[in-house]
Amino acid sequence: MANKRTNTPADKGNRISRRGFIGASVVGGATTVLAPAALAGSTGISDKNQPKSTPPSEQKMEREVGSSVPPKPVQSVRRAASDLMVQVLKDLEIEYVALNPGSSFEGLQESLINYGDKPNSMPEVISALHEGSAVDMAHGYGRSEGKPMCALIQGTVGLQNGSMAIYQAFHGQTPLIVLAGNDEHNFLKVHTGEDIAALVRPFTKWDAQPETLEQTLLALQEAYRQTITPPCAPVLVVLNSEIQKQEAGDLQVPIYSPPKISGISQQQADSIAQNLILANNPRISVGRLRTPEGINSAVELAELVAASVQTSATTGPMSFPQRHPLVGPGSNNSYDYHLGLEKAAAQVSITGPDLKSLIERDVAGVRFGWKEDPTLRRGPKPETLISADAEASIPLIVSAVKEQLKASIRKSIAERLQASTKENHVFRMKSLRQAIEKKRPGWNDTPVSLARMYAELWPLIKDLDWCLASPTHFSGRHHRELWDHDKPYSYLGQFPAAALGYGLGSSTGAALAARDRDRIVINIQADGDFNYMPGSIWSAAHHKLPMLIIMHNNRAWHMELMYVQYMAGVRGRGTDRAHIGTTFRDPYINFAKIAEGYGMKSEGPISDPKQMVAALKRGIDAVRNGEPYLIDVLTQPR
Amino acid sequence: MIKILISTLLISVVSSLASTVLKAAPATPAMISGNADKGEALYYNHGCYACHGYNGIGKHNLANDVSGIMMSEAVYLIFLRARSELNPPLPTQRMPHYPESSLSDQEALDIYAYIRTFKDTPPEAESNATMRAIINSAQSQAPQ
Ligand code: HEC
Repeated sequence: MANKRTNTPADKGNRISRRGFIGASVVGGATTVLAPAALAGSTGISDKNQPKSTPPSEQKMEREVGSSVPPKPVQSVRRAASDLMVQVLKDLEIEYVALNPGSSFEGLQESLINYGDKPNSMPEVISALHEGSAVDMAHGYGRSEGKPMCALIQGTVGLQNGSMAIYQAFHGQTPLIVLAGNDEHNFLKVHTGEDIAALVRPFTKWDAQPETLEQTLLALQEAYRQTITPPCAPVLVVLNSEIQKQEAGDLQVPIYSPPKISGISQQQADSIAQNLILANNPRISVGRLRTPEGINSAVELAELVAASVQTSATTGPMSFPQRHPLVGPGSNNSYDYHLGLEKAAAQVSITGPDLKSLIERDVAGVRFGWKEDPTLRRGPKPETLISADAEASIPLIVSAVKEQLKASIRKSIAERLQASTKENHVFRMKSLRQAIEKKRPGWNDTPVSLARMYAELWPLIKDLDWCLASPTHFSGRHHRELWDHDKPYSYLGQFPAAALGYGLGSSTGAALAARDRDRIVINIQADGDFNYMPGSIWSAAHHKLPMLIIMHNNRAWHMELMYVQYMAGVRGRGTDRAHIGTTFRDPYINFAKIAEGYGMKSEGPISDPKQMVAALKRGIDAVRNGEPYLIDVLTQPR
Repeated sequence: MIKILISTLLISVVSSLASTVLKAAPATPAMISGNADKGEALYYNHGCYACHGYNGIGKHNLANDVSGIMMSEAVYLIFLRARSELNPPLPTQRMPHYPESSLSDQEALDIYAYIRTFKDTPPEAESNATMRAIINSAQSQAPQ
C-alpha cells in the first residue's frame, strides 16, 4: 500500500527529513577527514601525528568574537501527531507498551515517554531486549488480565523476530496489540515494505496500515475492539514513521465505542435456564472465558441453580475458581442436565468462534495444523452445540433463571447446594491425600524432586496473591492437586503453539500485571526454554517486577532426549550417545550467573532439597519487596 | 505391528509372571552378580536416568525393588531385550529396546546391581511439616 499523504505546512517549512540529516552529516564527516590529509601533504609530513582540525568557519569566528546572534529556535510541531496516538492508548487504559527501539517510531516513542500530565504511565514503556520477548510479555499479560497491552517493534526485521511469539499468542487466542513502525523514507530500505503486515497475516486476526493521522487513531481503537472480540487474537497496526511526526493541528481524538459481543438468543437463554432449574442434578463445565467478569457471572449462575461445576482453572486462565464449594462431582455423578461454557458438555455447549473463522487470513495457504476445536476433542459430544460467545451469554441465562425461579424450587436448590458442598469437600480431601501419596516418592532425593518443589512452594505462597505464569507440564504439573487455583490468573496454562522461549517472556508480562496489584508471579522455568530469549531477565530487573524464577534445570531439552533414546532403541544402537544435541553438558549452564549478569538477584545451583526450601523463602521475600529473584535448582529430569 | 504385539505381550507376560512369583516367594533374595559401582556410571552414560530419575524415581520407579521385572537378573534381561524394534508412529518416551550389541549382558547386569541399591524412604505425610501444612490448609476450608 503506497502512502498518499499530502504535505502539511509544517512538513514543508521546518522539518528536516531524516534523509536530509544523514546527507549533511556525511558531507561534514568527509570534510573533517580530508582537511588534515591535505595539510599533511603540503608539509610533506606523515599525517599520523598531526592534530585533526579544520579551520574555523565564518560563523564560528563570529561566535568567538561575540558578534553572532544565535539562531531562533524553530519548533516545527506544536501538537505532535504521536501525542494523539498515545492519548488513544491512554483512553483505552493500555497499561504497558513493551518495545524494542527502532528507527521507524521515534516519534511515538518520544510521545510515550514525554506526553501527558503523567508522562510514561498508562501506558508505561517497558524495555524488551528482543521483539519476541516484547510479544511474549504482552501474551502473558493478556492471559493474566483478559485485556491487551502493546508490543511496539521495528519494521520488517522486528516483526520477523516477533513473529513466532505472535504465532503463539494467535493459537493461545490471547488479546494483544502489535504496533510496528514502517519508515516512509526508507531510512534503511530493507527494514521497510509496502505491506509488512503480510509477514504475519496468517496468524493475526486483523491488521491495518493507516495513511493519515485520523485513520491511525481510528485504527488503534479498532485494533483494540478486534483483539478483545472473540476469537481473541493478536492484531497489528503498521505505523507510518512520518505520520507520527506530523503536526496534529486541532484534530480531536475520536471517542471510543466498545465492541458489541453477542451471545445466545433470548429464547435459547430461557430454555437453558428452564432446564437448569428443572434438573434434579445439573452440572456446568467451564472452560476458558475471556475476562474476570465472565467468571463472576459463571459463579453467579452456578450458585443460583446449585449446579456442580467442572473447572479448567488448573489447565489455564479465566476459569471457575477451583476451590469454590460447588466445584467437584457434587452429591452424585448422574447429571440430568449438563451445560458447557466454552467446554464440551452432554446437553448444551456454548462455544465462541474459534480460529478457523480466521482462515481467510491465511492468504499464503500455510494451513498451520488446522484441527478440530481442541475444547471439543475430549469429553462428551453435546446434543446441542451453540456457536456463541459463552461469556456474553451467561448474563442472559442468569436473568432468565432469576425470572423463572419459583419459591418452591428454591428450597430444593438450597438443599442441593448444601449436599454438594459437603460431598465436594470430602472428595477433595480424598483426592488430596491420594495426590500427596504420589508426591512422596523421592521426597529427599538429590537433585530435587519436582513434586517436592511444588509442594514446598505452596505453604509459602498460599496466603499471598499469586500467579503461576509458566507452563508446567514439563515439570510435572504438581500444582494441580496441591494448590488452590481460585483467581482468573492463578495458572496461565500451557504454551499454546509449543513455540520456543515463551516461559520467561510471558511470565515477565504476567509480572507486569502483578506489579501494581500486590501480586507475585511464580515462574518455574524450563532450562531449555530459558536460553532462547534470556533478555527478559534484564527487563524484569530493570522494571522491578515481582517475579520469582525457579529453574527446572535438568540440563537438557529433556523431552527430545527421551525421544532420541527411544529411536536409538528401535534401531538397536544403544542410548549412550543420545545426549548429543539434546543436553547441556560440557559446560553446564550457570543460570544464577546469567541472572546476576543481567542484574537480577539470584542463587544456585542448588540440588539439595533442604537448601532449596530456604532459598524459596528468600526468593519470596525478595519478590514481595518488588525485586525479581532467580533460584537455579538442579532437579530430577521429570 | 505383529512384532510390537508380540513384544508387548511378552513383556506383560514377563511382568505379570514376575509379580506373581514375587508375591509367592518374596523372601528369596535374588542373586546380584554385577558390579554396582560400574553400574552407576553406566546408568548415567546410557541415559537410564532420563526416564527413571537419578535415583530410580521417575516416570517408572525402579527403587525399593517394587518391580516384578527387577525380581531376578534373568527376568530383567529378558525385559531389556524384548522391547519393540519398530518405528513408533509418534515420538515416544517409552522404554527403549536394548539388544546385546548396544548393552552387553555384563553391562546390563552391572546396571541391575546398581538399580538394586536404590532405596527410597520418603517421610510419611503425617510426619512431614510441608505435607501436613497442605492437608491442614485444605481441611480448614471444610464447609461449616
Ligand atoms: C526413554 C525412556 C526410558 C529410558 C531411556 C529407559 N527406560 Fe526403562 N522404562 C521406561 C518406561 C516408560 C518403562 C515402563 C514400562 C514399559 O514401557 O514397558 C520402563 C521400565 C523399565 C523397567 C521395568 C520397571 C517396572 O517396574 O516395570 C526396568 C527394569 C527398566 N526400565 C530399566 C531401564 C534401564 C536399565 C535403562 C537404561 C539402560 C532404562 N530403563 C532406560 C522408559 C525408559
